[in-house]
Amino acid sequence: MTDQTPVLRIQNIEKSYGDNKVLKGVSLELNRGGIKVIIGPSGGGKSTLLHCINFLVGLDEGRIYLNGKEIVHTRKRELTAYRQKVGMIFQDFNLFDHLNALHNVLIGPVRVKKIPKSEATERAVAELERVGLRDHMTKYPAELSGGQKQRVSIARALAMDPEVMLLDEPTSALDPELIGEVHEVIRDLALGGMTMLLVTHEVGFASSLADEIFFMEDGKIVEQGPPQKILFNAECDRTREFCSKIGRLHNNSS
Amino acid sequence: MDELLFLRQEVAPELLAGVWMSIKLIIPSTIFGFFIGIVSGVLRVYGNPVLKRLAGLYVLFFRGFPLLVQLYLWYFGLPRIGIYLSPFAAAVIGFSLCSGAYHSEYIRGALLSIRKGQLLAAYSLGFSKIRAVFSILLPQAMRRALPGSGNEFIYLIKYSSLAYMVTCIELTGKGSILANFYFKYLEIFSIVGAIYLVMVSIATWGLNYLEDRIAIPGFGRPKYS
Repeated sequence: MTDQTPVLRIQNIEKSYGDNKVLKGVSLELNRGGIKVIIGPSGGGKSTLLHCINFLVGLDEGRIYLNGKEIVHTRKRELTAYRQKVGMIFQDFNLFDHLNALHNVLIGPVRVKKIPKSEATERAVAELERVGLRDHMTKYPAELSGGQKQRVSIARALAMDPEVMLLDEPTSALDPELIGEVHEVIRDLALGGMTMLLVTHEVGFASSLADEIFFMEDGKIVEQGPPQKILFNAECDRTREFCSKIGRLHNNSS
Repeated sequence: MDELLFLRQEVAPELLAGVWMSIKLIIPSTIFGFFIGIVSGVLRVYGNPVLKRLAGLYVLFFRGFPLLVQLYLWYFGLPRIGIYLSPFAAAVIGFSLCSGAYHSEYIRGALLSIRKGQLLAAYSLGFSKIRAVFSILLPQAMRRALPGSGNEFIYLIKYSSLAYMVTCIELTGKGSILANFYFKYLEIFSIVGAIYLVMVSIATWGLNYLEDRIAIPGFGRPKYS
């Protein structure tokens, strides 16, 4: 049954900022355990799309379904319940500055899910261990490296037991040498069967993980398909042009 | 020598009673004022349009009317509509509401200075707006507001002397009575001033200590001590 219904279904999302139409009707589906990657030039609406999916940005048009059930975002309770099931990783981490790593992971389960603190602490420690930060639990965000911050933010999302994770360029704010440790954590999640929607410019990483890649430009999904096809054999000229450019970049840097 | 004996036996007990009254005015006014400031500061940033407007009007009036005029209204004005406040109650209400209006602005500024991402991250974990504000934003904002709000606490210590004008006899009131009675203005008001200085110094020290205590590690903030 679960394989039949997509975990997350996005239907025809539209979003404008004033006269600027950022999303022009985007639809996609995520099956359980599926990993989809969105690539495309900056300003194409990728980030806005992920923010819209989590209702962090109000949408003008479109519907979102979790496990086949439409989310009515004006019902506060329904919205917060939905967000608990959809983990979000931000480009600039957004750890809570006033809390140490452990409390960053702890606060969601304790304040939102009302899980007793001792139980939540156990879980938080386990999640931090999973991302390799057990020894850094008492450090504050300002005392952590970018890669460590992003791993804490992944642990924070995981502690809420999400069914889907949305990752918005999780490594683009990181120094090159720190990207690997975050990729490793994401790869572990993928192996564990987490359903993910990932926006990234790291095509090499994307192609090794994704079962489908979307090329998004100018507020639309221009082309979609398996990684090999999109990256090396795209039908659309723009996709090909973009992929060959970032492909070259990738080859040069490696 | 006579002078000293006189000060110790006649003046000191009276002034001490005054200090005690001042403290009884300052502490509740500080607490209520800060609390009112938090609520109205939060409403001014995150309230719905109606509440935002109301909080804005509150700040406008209570910062706009001179404090002395506010005290007169509470104590001498309200009986006109059948409400009789004791001098003490009128003073505490007046101080709290005026102080709250200033705190409100410090809190508002601090809330506005917090990166949007903090709120987005809280939302993405399923926090409601009100819970996000109280669990995530306010703890950060209060740290940032503390230097400004601390200033307001210190003002309050000194403007508590206005309570005398609505017949609540605190330190300054006691001082005036004694000075008039013994005709020793220089001596007594010097002592009164020095006592305020001591209270302000203690408050300053306490605030600096608090700032150090709640500072977030890693932000490289220089310590006071």
